Order: sequence, then C-alpha cells, then structure tokens
Amino acid sequence: MKMSAFDTFRDIASSHGVVFYYEGEFSANVIAAMGDAVKNKIEQDADGSKKKRKIFSTFIEMAQNVAHYAPGASESASAGYGALAVGKAGERYYIASGNYVEARHVARMREKLDPLRSMTLDEIKQAYRAQLRNDEHTQDAVSKGAGLGFLTVARDAAEPIEFSITESTEHNGLFAYFFLRAVI
Amino acid sequence: MTTDIRIAATDMSPEVHFHFSENRFSLSGESYPENAAAFYGPLIVALEEYLSEAGGSNIDIEVRLAYFNSASTKMLFNLFDRFNEFAALGNTVVLNWIYDEEDDTILEFGNELASDFAALEFRPQAMVS
Repeated sequence: MKMSAFDTFRDIASSHGVVFYYEGEFSANVIAAMGDAVKNKIEQDADGSKKKRKIFSTFIEMAQNVAHYAPGASESASAGYGALAVGKAGERYYIASGNYVEARHVARMREKLDPLRSMTLDEIKQAYRAQLRNDEHTQDAVSKGAGLGFLTVARDAAEPIEFSITESTEHNGLFAYFFLRAVI
Repeated sequence: MTTDIRIAATDMSPEVHFHFSENRFSLSGESYPENAAAFYGPLIVALEEYLSEAGGSNIDIEVRLAYFNSASTKMLFNLFDRFNEFAALGNTVVLNWIYDEEDDTILEFGNELASDFAALEFRPQAMVS
C-alpha cells in the first residue's frame, strides 16, 4: 500500500469510527489476540461493565462464526477467512463481519436470521432458552456449535441485527457473501 | 476410581479442577475454546464414570466464570444436567454459582440451571467487582 492509499484507508476508517479492523484467517490464536485488543480498547472507555461484556461476547460469537463457517483461504486452511471491524458511532459500538459462506447454507441462514430482526428482547431470550434445551440440535450436521450463536448476538445487541447475503457468480455460484452487523 | 482432572486456564479456556477423590469440582476463568465440544466432551465422560459409582457422596461444585461463549453455555448445561440426574437419586449436590454482580447474563444462566435442574442446591453469590 502506497502512503497515499494508506492515508485514504486511515481517513475512511477514522470517519467511520473504526477502532479495530482485521482481514485474514480466523484461527484460534488470531481470535485470542484480537479478543485481547478489543478488551484493551473498550477498557479505556468510560462505559459500564455490562456493555463491555456485551461487546466482547458479540465479538467472540461473530469471530467464531467466521472461523467455523467461512471457507478457508486455501484447501489446507483449518479456519475460515473473513473480515471483522469493531467501531464506535456516537455512544454505541458496532461489530461488523464479512465472509463467504456456502451457497447451499443460505436458505437455512435466512431462516435463522430473518425472525431475529423483528423479535423483541423477551422473545429472543425465550427462543434462546428453548434452543438451550433443544437436544435435536446435536443431530444437526451443519452446525458446529449449539445453535445459540446468532441468538446470543441478537440478545446482546441494542438494535435489531443487520445482515445481507449476496449471491456470487464466482466459483460456479458455490459461495455467497455474508455481512452481519450488530450495534451494542 | 476416576482419576482427578486438573486443567490450567488459558486465554480461551477455564481452569478446571475435578477432584473426584474429594467430590469437589470447580471451574473458573473464561470459556470460549475453539471447539467447546472437544473441550467439555471428555470432562463429561469422566464425570459420568465417576457419578456411576459415587452414590451417597455429597458433591460440592464451585463455578466462578467471568465469561462463556454460546457453545460453552450449551456444554455447561449438559454438564449440570448430569449432576442434576445424580442429585435426583437422593444425593446432595451443591452448586455455588459465583458471578460478577454487574453481570446479568451469568446470573440469568444460573437461574436457568436452577429452574431446570431442581435437584441441585443452587447457591448464587454476587461478587463485587
């Protein structure tokens, strides 16, 4: 990156309140290091510990989502490849992630994410409690967690989560680009 | 007899002490391992082995976790499910649930455990941060 491009990049980041941006492989080591950086950044803020915990929780859920579900940069990669930003807009923080997902999972993701946008916090907590007790989920071959990740993000967000899934013609249409944003 | 388990904490995983020989269990720190099932799975297997021959024992559990991710939450739920089944047979299992007083989420999860696993003697304790 030339110095002029670096300046442009820095200006854009600064005008969007970006405090942290990463693009690359989401290995466990990278997530742990980023987690420390995020903690340090928010620690300097005057906000209460509840909000700090929510920011950290959302960061971890979104980062591990990339790690588990995004395709890797190469065949041999063990963790997914994607981008993640933590930023501040006014009094609130946002966490945004972008990564490819397999096109065959798109319908399933929409089914999980769409309802979360219109649910109240009580409804989200209720759905969370139901999913916690859902033993069927262990038979879900696609999910690598407990099916609680998006619910956890929605529960900690101060506004409905935003997402978009854009079909891509690259790679024979095997992948779609997934963008997710939560405000805390 | 099941061999005691001691696992040191890392950035992403909690300190675990399963003192089967003394019927004492503790978990502390933060829990967001890359693969929660791989971390907790063997602990649950060892616990099941211990519980199958621990009838009549009084069990004491101390949980002092500052944060756990969604996948760990599910595994903890499964772990306490096992303790609850054992308690439902007439054994005493005390769950000391120590949480940051400002952390609603951890208290709420503790209350979920208490309501679902009624045989456990749930003792929440707020910690002043």
